[in-house]
Formats: sequence, structure tokens, C-alpha cells
Amino acid sequence: MSTGVLGTDKRGIRELGAEEKVGWDEVSEGVVLNSFEGVAEDIAHKKAEERDYSDFNSYTATVASWRIIKPVYNRDICIDCQNCWVWCPDTSIISRDKQMLGIDYDHCKGCGVCVEVCPTNPKSLLMYSEAADNEEALAGWPQKEKKEKN
Amino acid sequence: MAKEFELNEVEVWDGNYAASQALRQAQIDVVAAYPITPSTPIVENYGAYIANGYVDGEFVMVESEHGAMSGCVGASAAGGRVATATSSQGFALMTEVLYQASGMRLPIVLTVVNRALASPLNVRGDHSDMYLGRDSGWIQIDAYDAQEAYDLALCAFRIGEHLDVRLPVMMHQDGFTTSHKAQNVYPLKDEVAYKFVGDYVPVNDMLDFSRPVTHGAQTEEDWHYEHKAKQHKALMDSRSVIDEVFADFKALTGREYKRVESYMMEDAEVALVLLGSSVETAVLAAKQLREEEGIKVGIVSPRCFRPFPYDLIRETLDTSSLKVVSCLDKSAPGGAMGALFNEVSAAAYTTQARPMMTNYIYGLGGRDFAVDEAKRIMREQKAHADAGHITTPIQQFSGLRGPKLGFFETRRS
Amino acid sequence: MVEIRWHSRAGQGAVTGAKGLGSVVATTGKQVQAYALYGSAKRGAAMNAYNRIDDEPITNQETKMFPDFVFVIDPALAFSDDITKNDKPGTQYIITTHLSKEDLISQIPALQDKADRVYVVDCMQISLDTIGRAMPNTPILGAFMKVSKMYTLDFFLDNMKKVLAKFPQKIIDANMEAITRAYNEVK
Repeated sequence: MSTGVLGTDKRGIRELGAEEKVGWDEVSEGVVLNSFEGVAEDIAHKKAEERDYSDFNSYTATVASWRIIKPVYNRDICIDCQNCWVWCPDTSIISRDKQMLGIDYDHCKGCGVCVEVCPTNPKSLLMYSEAADNEEALAGWPQKEKKEKN
Repeated sequence: MAKEFELNEVEVWDGNYAASQALRQAQIDVVAAYPITPSTPIVENYGAYIANGYVDGEFVMVESEHGAMSGCVGASAAGGRVATATSSQGFALMTEVLYQASGMRLPIVLTVVNRALASPLNVRGDHSDMYLGRDSGWIQIDAYDAQEAYDLALCAFRIGEHLDVRLPVMMHQDGFTTSHKAQNVYPLKDEVAYKFVGDYVPVNDMLDFSRPVTHGAQTEEDWHYEHKAKQHKALMDSRSVIDEVFADFKALTGREYKRVESYMMEDAEVALVLLGSSVETAVLAAKQLREEEGIKVGIVSPRCFRPFPYDLIRETLDTSSLKVVSCLDKSAPGGAMGALFNEVSAAAYTTQARPMMTNYIYGLGGRDFAVDEAKRIMREQKAHADAGHITTPIQQFSGLRGPKLGFFETRRS
Repeated sequence: MVEIRWHSRAGQGAVTGAKGLGSVVATTGKQVQAYALYGSAKRGAAMNAYNRIDDEPITNQETKMFPDFVFVIDPALAFSDDITKNDKPGTQYIITTHLSKEDLISQIPALQDKADRVYVVDCMQISLDTIGRAMPNTPILGAFMKVSKMYTLDFFLDNMKKVLAKFPQKIIDANMEAITRAYNEVK
């Protein structure tokens, strides 16, 4: 069940590796895998939630359970620089029209790269325990750090 | 639009030129090649056809044969009709990618000009490279002369690209003996040849942007086994398509090809099984020996080396008159019986006749296969038939200097 | 079956000559083979080319032959090559040389019992005079037409022109002259 910021995806999402084993008839010739169901004309101009991903596409599998820590995103501080979007190795930063929306928690593995590359002060993304409550985390967000002058 | 190539009804072509003309007539989209003796002229000629406007295609120069077959895999996955040529060491370097091509079910045509594998370095013809490819999942078809190199190269596209097959095809001819021997060749007109081959129908091509696909995915123990079994089944099932394409080709040209060629087997007491240009020499020797000495010799050749025609070999050898079958392997077996011996013996074991089976290694590195030597081998098999048991070692060497080399005796109590 | 063995040096055009002869013969409905034993030979190395001609399709793929005709298109090879290898009673020899037939035979013991089967023609000088360089491959075919009576000179010239069609007219004309001279001068 998808819990993403974009609402429910067109396809149900499942744990990676929990897919049903393909039998004999479904094994594709030459291990050719279709990324999308049916004709996918103009797919590059469609948003992820509008695409009809095939079961073979990793988009339909979640790796949420792999995470120990998770990034939490603070809209109030973010300057929409898109740095995290560029650097995220799992395309798990969701941005629309150059505006940050948040984290795709189905595909984020909790690596923390987004936090490392965030340039704001305080950071707009911070890592918390997977069990932490996001609202509480935002309520207790750190203050701007003053540069120490020697 | 490519220009038409003026051809005479009869041309005097060598095997390389014949194969290159077939490639031209099939209007290949991409040739990625790294030329090597003795197959060089095939891709060299193809480059000239492109340069002179006889083909609308791309010639991709690469840095090695590994790169050549990789380029072919990419171009074929992208959705083009693709072919290349190689021999010997080049074939060996391609081997890794040969398995990729067949596993990815890409109908690439590889015209192989059979040549010995080093060491010692040798440019001349034997079947070492052909045998190296025998587990690679490709269809392997064998031409015995230049006319056949032309005919079977055209057939190779039809077979491999058939939607029920979708497998790469090697079309083999013997280095120098066939590739560099000019003879009468009766080509088809460009239009007729192209119509026979047909337009290329791409499947899951990467250049179809409406259906993005992943080629060459990884599978572990969960799917790999089913994929390989399915690939093997496709190879086995291609037998009927090969028969069909050969039948169509006969209807068009009158020239008949079979997965297993057999000559004078109806009443044969002794049979030789062999591959390549030597088949024609052996047929000549058998005819002469029948006339001169009354020895009833027949010749059998698995023209389709892969998928191995177990069915037709068994059928061909299942005659009441047949007593001895000698399999001639033109590749150093590396501490085993020759591959042809092993595979033909397995088929012969299921016949009623259960003929005696012997093995000859011959012609390594281009050693001439002489009519007289073929006759000597035939007479020796006749002696086995008369004695009722194999009177020599089971595996011997033909045309070898030095001591008579032989291995394994028949166990007789 | 007519079998021909050429003795040549790599680069003298024996393969082209053998294929040219094959092309002419094939137009008359006969079957041909034209091949060579060269492999990795360097330019100048001694080599053999071969022709087989028959009315029936030729299935003999053996390289070795017992030739009906031996063409020696390099003068020095008559002395250094085993030109009478696989000789049979009717084998005829057409040898390029500036020597007279008697002088040549007197210096090559292997030919001494075959004098009636030896023909000489100076294809080197003829090709230098006509084509402008040492290209003995086409003139030897003129001499062969005379010796073998396989085709008339005119018929052979006409068909050879077609085989050489890709070359400039000047070169075709020079080759025709070379073939004609060799036809007339072979002894």
C-alpha cells in the first residue's frame, strides 16, 4: 500500500522480492522486460503517478523496510535548490515544477545523501530514526547555527 | 534507396564473395566487424557495397571481435537486421558475446569461415572454431562450397528471424577450401533474393519508444533455468522452421538442402559421417569406390550442426545393410573422442542396426583431405564389416606423419 | 576434367588469371574451380594456383591434382620449383622464359623426357611491351588457348574483355594485345 506524498499510485506496491514467481508461459523471450504496461507513448512527459508501470519495473516494488533511519523534510526552510533531487541515488526526492514536495518513502533506502548535500542553515532535511514521528521531528527542528568567529 | 547490383546468370565466385553478396542482398542495417583471415573479404566487400551505394546500412569499425559481436548485439536489440563475419581467434574472442546474443534471442547472422585455432598459429581451415561454438545456443548451418555459402547465408536470415525461432545463426564454410575457391555460382536477382529473405520484423526493439524495454537483464536461480530451458526448446523447435525454409528455397531455386544430407545410403554397408567441403570429396571417393571395387559406401553429413539432428541421423543410419559408421572430426578433440563421433554414436545406439562406430581425426590446420585417403578409410571400414568387429583402434588419425596413432580397442572376449 | 596448376609468385596475378580463365569458361556452360594455395604468403613468394574445368559439377575439394597443364608464369620458378610434381603421361607445360625451348630443357633435367610436351613463351617481355609491367597472367592464357585449342582466339578475347570490364579501356586493350601476342608467339 503506497503512502507517498502523491497519494495512491495507479498500481499497488509490493515488497521487493515478494513478487510471485513467473511460471513457464510468462517467461519472456530473451529476458526482455517491458517497463510499462501497453503502449507508453510520450512516457517521458508523464509524471510517475500517471504512468502504468509494469510488474517488472522496480517502481512497483518497495524497499521501505530496508531503512533504519529516514530523512524528514522541512518545507519551511527549503529553498527549492533541487540539490537533493539531483543527488538522490534512488530517485526518491519528489519534485514538481521545480518545487520540492517531499520524500518517496517507498523507494528511499535511508542513505542520507540528501541531508549531506542540503545547503540551507539549518538543513531542510535531517535523518531521524525510522520509528520517529515526522510531526514531532518538525516541531523540534534545530535553530540556525551561528558561525563561530575566532 | 540502394542501387541494384548487376549479376550474370552464372558468376565465378569464391565462398567469401558469395557470402558477401548474400549479405548485400539481405540489405543488412548494421555490420559491426573486425576482419580476420580468411573471412576478411566478406566484411571488406560489404564495406565496399555500402561505399558504392549498393546497401543502405552502417558499417561499424570496432576494436576487436568481442567489440564486433557486442556491436551486433546492440544493433540487433535496437531493432536492425545485423550480420558479421569471423574466423578462428576472432571467433574465440567473440565467444563470450555469442552466448549473450543467443540468450537475448537476437537473430544475428554470423558467417564463420572455419579456421584452425592457435597454437601453433595457422590461418588454414579446420573445424576448431565451429566446434567451439557448438554449445553457444546458436543455430549452426554448414556450407560445403561457394554456391551453398551464398544459398545458406540467405536462408540463415529467414531461419533466425522467424518469429517462432528468434535465434542467432552461424553459417559456416571452410577456410580457403571454400572461402577462397572460385566456382560457378548461380545467384538470384537482387529483388528475388530480398523477397525470399523478407523485410526484417523487429521484436521488442529498443528504438520503439512507445514500448521502452530492458534487454540483457540479470536473472538468478529464480528465472535463469526457465530462460535457458526455453532457449533450448526454441533451438530444438527451430528444426521444423529450418525444414520449411529449405523447402521454400528449393521451390524458388531448385536447389535442395536438408538438415542431414545423405548420399547412397539406401544399400550402404559402410558410411562416413563428416562436415564441410570434405563431404563433396568423400561423395566423389564413395562413387569411385563403388564403381572400382564394389564396396557399398554411403556418406552422411549433419548440414545443420546445431540443433543437432538426432532424429534424422538416427533415421538415416537405421538401415539393415549398414554395418560400420566412421565419423571424421576435423578438430583436435582435446583428450576425448571427436564430437561428431560422440553425437552420431548416441543417435546410432537407438537404431535397430547398431552399427560399429569408429572415429577419425583429420585435416587439422588445413591438411589436404585427398580422394585416395577417403578411399583408404572406406576400405578399412569395409574390413571391419567383413571381420564382424573393429580391427583397428576405435579412434585414429588420418593423413598424419609419424607413428600410427590410435586409441581404444573393441573389447572382445 | 581438365586440371591446371599454375606456378607463380604472389603478386604476379596467378589467382586473378585463374579466376579470369574460370569466368570465361563458365560462360560456355562448363563448371570450373579456381583456387590457390597461399594463405599467409608474402608478395614474391612462390605459390600455386589451380583450375579445374569439367562438364559436370565439380565436387573434388582436394587441393592436390595430377595436372593436364602446368603454367609456369615466373621464369625463375622453372628452375627452383618442382614443376613436374604429379606429372602424368599427357601433362603439358607452358613456361614463361626468354630462352629457346632447347636451351630451357637442356638446363632442367626433369623436362628432358618431356620435350614434346613443353611449350615456351616470353610472357614477361610480352607484358612489359604491352601492359607496361611484368604481368604474365593474361598472356599465359593466350598461349594456353593456342596449345589447348580450348577456344578460338577471337572467342577468348571477346569473353576476356567482359571479365576485365571494370578496368580502363587502355588496360583492356593492352591485355588483348598481350594475349594475342602470346597466342602467336608460343612455341
